[in-house]
Amino acid sequence: METITALEWKVGGQQGEGIDSTGEIFTRTLFRYGYYVTTYKQFMSRIKGGHTNYKLRATPYRTQHAGDFVDILLALDEETIAVNKHELRPGAIVIQEGKEERIREEDGYLLAVFPLKAIATELGNPLAKNMIALGMSGALISLPVEEFYAFIEQQFAKKGEAVIASNKAAVDKGYAIVEQHLAAYVKRLKPLPRSEDRLYISGNEATAFGSFMAGCRFLSAYPITPASEIMEWMAAHLPAVGGTIMQVEDEIAGITFAVGASYAGARAMTSTSGPGMSLKTEALGMAAMSETPIVIVDSQRAGPSTGLPTKHEQSDLNHMLFATHGEIPRIVVYPSSIEDAFYVAAEAFNLAETYQCPVIIALDLALSMNRTTIPPIDAKRVKIERGKIVTPEEAKKYGEFVFKRYRFTEDGISPRAIPGNPYGVHTASSNEHGENGYITEDPVIRTQIMQKRMGKIRTARLRNPFYVQNGDADVLLVGVGSVRGVIEEVVRRLQDEDGVRVGGLFIQQLHPLPVEELKPFIDGKRMIVSVENNYSGQLLNWLRQHFPIHDRSTAITQYDGNPFRVTRVYEEVKEVLRRVGRTQETHA
Amino acid sequence: MSVELKKPTLKDFKGDTPTWCPGCGHFSVMAGLQRALVNLGIQPHEVITVSGIGCSSKLPEYSRTYGFHTIHGRALPVAQGAKMAAPEMHVIVTGGDGDGYGIGAGHFVHAVRRNMDITYLVMDNSIYGLTKGQTSPTSPHDFVTKTTVKGNKEYPMDALSIALANGATFVAQAFSGDVKRMTEIIEAAIRHKGFSLVNVLSPCVTYNKVNTYDYYRESLVAIDEPLPTREEAIRVVKAHNRNVHGILYVEERDDFQTQLGIDWKIRDIREGEMDEALIREIEKEFK
Repeated sequence: METITALEWKVGGQQGEGIDSTGEIFTRTLFRYGYYVTTYKQFMSRIKGGHTNYKLRATPYRTQHAGDFVDILLALDEETIAVNKHELRPGAIVIQEGKEERIREEDGYLLAVFPLKAIATELGNPLAKNMIALGMSGALISLPVEEFYAFIEQQFAKKGEAVIASNKAAVDKGYAIVEQHLAAYVKRLKPLPRSEDRLYISGNEATAFGSFMAGCRFLSAYPITPASEIMEWMAAHLPAVGGTIMQVEDEIAGITFAVGASYAGARAMTSTSGPGMSLKTEALGMAAMSETPIVIVDSQRAGPSTGLPTKHEQSDLNHMLFATHGEIPRIVVYPSSIEDAFYVAAEAFNLAETYQCPVIIALDLALSMNRTTIPPIDAKRVKIERGKIVTPEEAKKYGEFVFKRYRFTEDGISPRAIPGNPYGVHTASSNEHGENGYITEDPVIRTQIMQKRMGKIRTARLRNPFYVQNGDADVLLVGVGSVRGVIEEVVRRLQDEDGVRVGGLFIQQLHPLPVEELKPFIDGKRMIVSVENNYSGQLLNWLRQHFPIHDRSTAITQYDGNPFRVTRVYEEVKEVLRRVGRTQETHA
Repeated sequence: MSVELKKPTLKDFKGDTPTWCPGCGHFSVMAGLQRALVNLGIQPHEVITVSGIGCSSKLPEYSRTYGFHTIHGRALPVAQGAKMAAPEMHVIVTGGDGDGYGIGAGHFVHAVRRNMDITYLVMDNSIYGLTKGQTSPTSPHDFVTKTTVKGNKEYPMDALSIALANGATFVAQAFSGDVKRMTEIIEAAIRHKGFSLVNVLSPCVTYNKVNTYDYYRESLVAIDEPLPTREEAIRVVKAHNRNVHGILYVEERDDFQTQLGIDWKIRDIREGEMDEALIREIEKEFK
């Protein structure tokens, strides 16, 4: 029997058929079996009906990409095979729900059709057909059936013995079917040492968790895919620690509630996606103008307008970097992994309060909704820092009837009094104002205070403003967010299969761009290749504004609503390498 | 922050010099608000005054309290956010009819039904003053302005009935020409635990030649006692074509934050290391 150490598995069916929970059970089972698991869900913007699928990749090493291929496909509806056929690896097994039992070799894969629903009905529980399919999946990789039992016992503990027994029976049936009909195809997934501390977590959950641990106790937002999970996670956790979320009347209220809470001294945030981000732009300017800290999460989906609400894209970069009329100080950060989402979110609150300005956390649908395996959180990595907040004693020393909230200082950051401080009374203003917050149109003050506001963020830095892989290579692939997972795999594959060394650069701080720190990794490179999910190469354009790389840079783009497949980027990078090679020969 | 301070006086509330036109109703509204706060013994640092954009929205600069002069139409959500974070503060929202009933109308209805413990003073002059004289959501039918050259063909918004119909727990209308009564109403509104709306008829002496002090003196009917039911209050408002002043309706009901029953600690943020024990506890749900 062949032993394997990685598996790519997918279940597809109609929305509302429990596709997600079927995927989750198998994923969590393999997670506990010692594997690193990464998942990706494809779904449509409706509640029931329409094809949906859930992809799982289990590996013995950490990865951030759910993989290009499928070894075992559970097809619970007609569409599944048609939609996913191109992903089947040669020798893949497709288990399909159908009327009659049928096993045959198709073009490159084995098709095994079973009347799963009828079999489940015979067992007395028609709902258990997915569990039978899961049992078959487990049997095909020789997973001890007890692994499923343990999960079932825990998952259905509240539903009673009968439900547990019937689910176990369904799983057993799956194992029996494989033993009887597919024994020749069974492989063995090698058991790995189990880990008690690893986490299986989504980007949205990591973002919410990091915000929560940083002391965020207020989130106001409006439901929107793919950001709603952040609000839901916070809703479940905040009341116990004296906070709350508020689902408010619209996107504008989402940000303005948070600005109000923050003005009053809270660590407050709002979470949204592109359409909401568009609506929030005037208030983004208000937060910056009034120097009120605020954290805004934009989990990008495919735009413009309503776009493809449940599909992936990275096309809000320009918007996050430039949105709002006039000119404002802002910090834009973009975690390059689900693990980083925790720390970047936590740091975002420090940056917002230290620099008294809006901080936008960019996510993308794949980063938000994918789940992956990460090490336990390092509690020491981020310390909560609130910046220049004055105590009553400190405020009193100024001896001012109206506290100068916008006091000119060397670093441009003014001491901030929180409402309730008896010596800090002041008005924050969205109008241009002088040091005391009162409206002014004086050209000298206007010029000075613009310089103060715009200049104060220059030194703002994430702890890891970017990550570099093979920094010495002379061709560099640049990406943000979930694309890091793709680039890491491409770099690995080029090394393993072609013996070619290229580098990866994953930028986490987009604004202010850490130009000086990035220089050593960009200067002198033969080619800079951005890999990004948008039409116009927004990331590349942003880099070109800061580095003289116009004649030695290009973008690999994709904007069809899906994340990159590693294979596609790998091929395109090879093409770029061929071009670069030819150019070199010509010059030589 | 318990600091012993002497009783507040009107002087403590003096802010920047107003730029309102001489005779503007807003002077009286601000005076009434400051008097009400002094009467209630509330200190400037215990108040957050939030406004949107417009002549009346300049009040937070002119009246010394904690304040936030926000953007057009967004005073209510900013104010409610502030109240969520700091329930012990008195949050007062000021603005005009354009700000609150035009660009901010969406927030108005939701603030009403949410019933947070804040006070909303709308200085209603039925005109856009700061942009120099365009029609507003409360302008009379057939009102002629630069933007309604054939007369306003829309009908004025009835904010009082909207508030009453959507569960407002304190609805009043005052007249800036009657400072004594207005101050009493504002005081009662601040004391009310829940969302209180005071629509103050506050004439614009520069751009509105219809809704003048004289017009209101002649047409306003005083309501001396709150009406017994919402339905009755709406009926009275309609019967007098909104030309009433007084406290129209009051209902005692737990405000939003009380109903949530959370031990509020939104502003308690400890600097330094994150709580490792809590991290380990939460991590369990990801295993």
